[in-house]
Amino acid sequence: MPAKMRVEGLNAWYGSRQALYDIDLELEERATTAIVGPSGCGKSTFLRCLNRLHEELPGGRVEGRIELDGENLVRADPALVRCRVGMVFQKPNPFPNLSVFENVAAGLRLLGVRRHDELEEGVAEALEAAGLWEEVEDLLDAPGTSLSGGQQQRLCIARALAVRPEVLLLDEPCSSLDPIATARVESLLARLRSDYTLVLVTHNLAQAVRLADRTAFFYLGKLVEIGETSTIFHRPNEKLTENYVNGRFG
Amino acid sequence: MAGLASGERLAPMEKGRRLAFLRGLGALFQGGTVLAAAALTVFVGGLIYLLASGAAPALAHFGGGFLLRSVWSVPTSSFGGWPEILGTLLTSALALLLAVPVALGVALFASEFAPQRWRSPLAYFVDLGAAIPSVVYGFWGFAVLVPFLRGAVEPALAAVTPGIPLFAGPVLGTGLLAGALVLAIMILPTVAALSRDALRSVPRSQREAALGLGATRWEASRMTVLGSALPGLVGAVTLGLGRAVGETIAVALVIGNTPAAPRSLFSATATIPSWLVARFAGSQGLERSALFELALVLFAISLGLNVGARWFLGRRELRSALPGPPTRRRPSLRHGDVRPKGSASAGVPSWWDRVEQGRPPRLRRRRQLQRAVLVLVLAAVVLAALPLASLVSTAVAQGAGVALRPSFYTSEPGPPCGLNASQGCPPGGIGPEIEGTVVLLALGAALGIPGGLLLGIYLAEYGRRTFGRGVGLLVDALLGTPSILLGIVLLAIFLRWDRPDAQSALAGAVALGVLMMPIVAKATDAALRSVPATVREAALALGFPRHRVTLRVVLGSARASVVTGSLLALMRAGGETAALVLTAGVSTYWLTGLRGPAPALAPFIYDALTVYGGSPGYVAEAWGAALVLLGIMAATSLLARLLFGRGTEAGAS
Ligand SMILES: Nc1ncnc2c1ncn2[C@@H]1O[C@H](COP(=O)(O)OP(=O)(O)O)[C@@H](O)[C@H]1O
Ligand SMILES: [Mg+2]
Repeated sequence: MPAKMRVEGLNAWYGSRQALYDIDLELEERATTAIVGPSGCGKSTFLRCLNRLHEELPGGRVEGRIELDGENLVRADPALVRCRVGMVFQKPNPFPNLSVFENVAAGLRLLGVRRHDELEEGVAEALEAAGLWEEVEDLLDAPGTSLSGGQQQRLCIARALAVRPEVLLLDEPCSSLDPIATARVESLLARLRSDYTLVLVTHNLAQAVRLADRTAFFYLGKLVEIGETSTIFHRPNEKLTENYVNGRFG
Repeated sequence: MAGLASGERLAPMEKGRRLAFLRGLGALFQGGTVLAAAALTVFVGGLIYLLASGAAPALAHFGGGFLLRSVWSVPTSSFGGWPEILGTLLTSALALLLAVPVALGVALFASEFAPQRWRSPLAYFVDLGAAIPSVVYGFWGFAVLVPFLRGAVEPALAAVTPGIPLFAGPVLGTGLLAGALVLAIMILPTVAALSRDALRSVPRSQREAALGLGATRWEASRMTVLGSALPGLVGAVTLGLGRAVGETIAVALVIGNTPAAPRSLFSATATIPSWLVARFAGSQGLERSALFELALVLFAISLGLNVGARWFLGRRELRSALPGPPTRRRPSLRHGDVRPKGSASAGVPSWWDRVEQGRPPRLRRRRQLQRAVLVLVLAAVVLAALPLASLVSTAVAQGAGVALRPSFYTSEPGPPCGLNASQGCPPGGIGPEIEGTVVLLALGAALGIPGGLLLGIYLAEYGRRTFGRGVGLLVDALLGTPSILLGIVLLAIFLRWDRPDAQSALAGAVALGVLMMPIVAKATDAALRSVPATVREAALALGFPRHRVTLRVVLGSARASVVTGSLLALMRAGGETAALVLTAGVSTYWLTGLRGPAPALAPFIYDALTVYGGSPGYVAEAWGAALVLLGIMAATSLLARLLFGRGTEAGAS
């Protein structure tokens, strides 16, 4: 598999405090990479560097190289980077002032899609892809925040998919959902897996095993190890990884 | 451990007595809050009754035509309120038109565009602008803006627009345009601060959702931030309008205060408050009743505006809980496939495919738009800063000389000296004014802060019940009542009670107390409600009686906000002029007792320009007083920010 994204010597800071140290890794095209590690080890920070959202935070600063198809993103236009590399956040965050339809259409409108039939087609496709179409078919004009938590999260996934990103970043997308909603999001991710390059931060190791082709283990802001998911979970190279996947800490 | 041990040692009898004592204390405390609510209800009821009964003779004599006639003649006892009503509406509308775009620009910059480390100083200056007493704005308008309008702006406007009635008439400097400009400059910081708060209250996750889709900052603002903050923004603007409608002193000093309906932007005219402050104290008979009728009109307008503003400001949280509207649109689903369009082998078609198909994602245009908005917003910040900078530098230039003399703080103002400044005026000071301000503030605070605290606790505890909600509305109404009306009503009360000494330190102190009470009450209420229910429950579960939970636990964790609210109330009262001009009377002498007139810093500035006709010695001392007031406000704002990490934002006002 060719690398879709390549990260080289990535360091990130919050003000004077360093959160990531010299990260080097590759994300394979149309594969799912899980990122695991204890709380505060920099998983979210790493993810946010990949679509340059980190620099929007107070004091956020990044050094290093992040390539998408060989092009260095650090010097590209952030708006462009973010529509090529989409993001789904830990807590569902649909726009409360917009309807379900407009939530999904928002990204398309940014890209200059104006014709209503084109918008409708894009929205319907994205909702279908997110497995939400049947549930919200009759609720398209309701506020996005009127849906249930799990529906809201799938709405956010649909919103991100509507602009057809090349890479989709998911930051613990199920951590605020109940088990049933989690199962639905997981089956959605399993379906997207063959078409998208996914990066999934998760606290749930079983989820990583179920969904990820490759897994990266982060600890204290450093990448400890990355490899095939089965290798990481069964025959890791590092003692630290072994301790973590066996639940000895974290 | 020690607590547990001593608890075990309490004999059952003793324990029972202790509990009874605590219950008694609780009842007393609860009684206090209810008493405060009852007193407020009586006061607002009395206010409306006094205004209405005062207006009754004029209503009977002139009928409805009073509101539409343009005449004010004491000798013929013929009065009509049209010029003042029209003047109020025009100056306020014009001020709003000028201030709102600039204020929104400042708020957008402060909340969305400014680099992180600029935001705090920016917020400080906005707070400071909102804290400067209106009499200082008026003084600056009188001394700087009016000559500038007369010398440069108005002749130029008249020259480029010959024959247009809007810009016709004698060029005086004072008039409608000056009034509207001063009002705009004065309400700008308030509107900006409230708008910024509304924008800041939109959670960061929403901005990130938009940015994550590839939105520029402006697009993120337009897409979600402004939309979500809309009720708050409308509330901010409405509150600004309420402030403009009720402003008295700043307008009185620059509008010409003439009972004539304005014919152009340059006409001298009057507003209801400016006319009230000029005429009320010296009026009698039918004129006084006519003034009461004007006051009643003003009360009705500001009540409507303030209730409306609170309604919008309170809607913030309601939004997401609204049920969805019925469905209208139902796009046909042509694409049943999970896999996005495009050949499977090529993977997911991205925006790059669109670019190749000749549909670039308009990036260049969007970046230009972002830059254009940034320029506009920065221009708004500069525009907002100019008058503030001019005001501060003028006050320093004119006031520093007198204010650096130590005797300035200990001596009485020099006697009004010859208008010929070259004769030289004996150096005077503002000692009595400082003394009066301290005494009035201390007495006012003794009434307003405990009263407001009890009232705020009442609102937090009972605010959701029917009567409690009514009390909340009354607090809002009092908060939005122009201070000139408080002055009129308290003067009327004191005139009934103590005719010869109605205008007195005592009346002034009561006026300041009434002014402070709703500010403290609102701050307390908001602070108490922001303490999580879990804290309260934890304390209740430990067996604390309810009032102790409120006092110790809840009030303890809300202390910073309550102290900030009290500081804000003190600042507002310290700069108050209109109410004091009516209630405390005119004096430049040291206090002799509470039953005589009392001088104070802010009213002194107004008196120096009006009662003492701008005598040069007094004007110099007034600049000194303005500088002192500015310094106090700047220091207090800074103190609040440093101590409590948040500003004395206008939000509580
Ligand atoms: N906004 C922020 N400001 C300052 N430090 C932060 C911020 N967000 C996260 N951090 C710190 O950076 C480190 C990494 O955080 P994060 O990437 O959120 O961890 P994870 O997602 O793995 O739990 C943590 O030590 C955290 O305290
Ligand atoms: Mg995280």
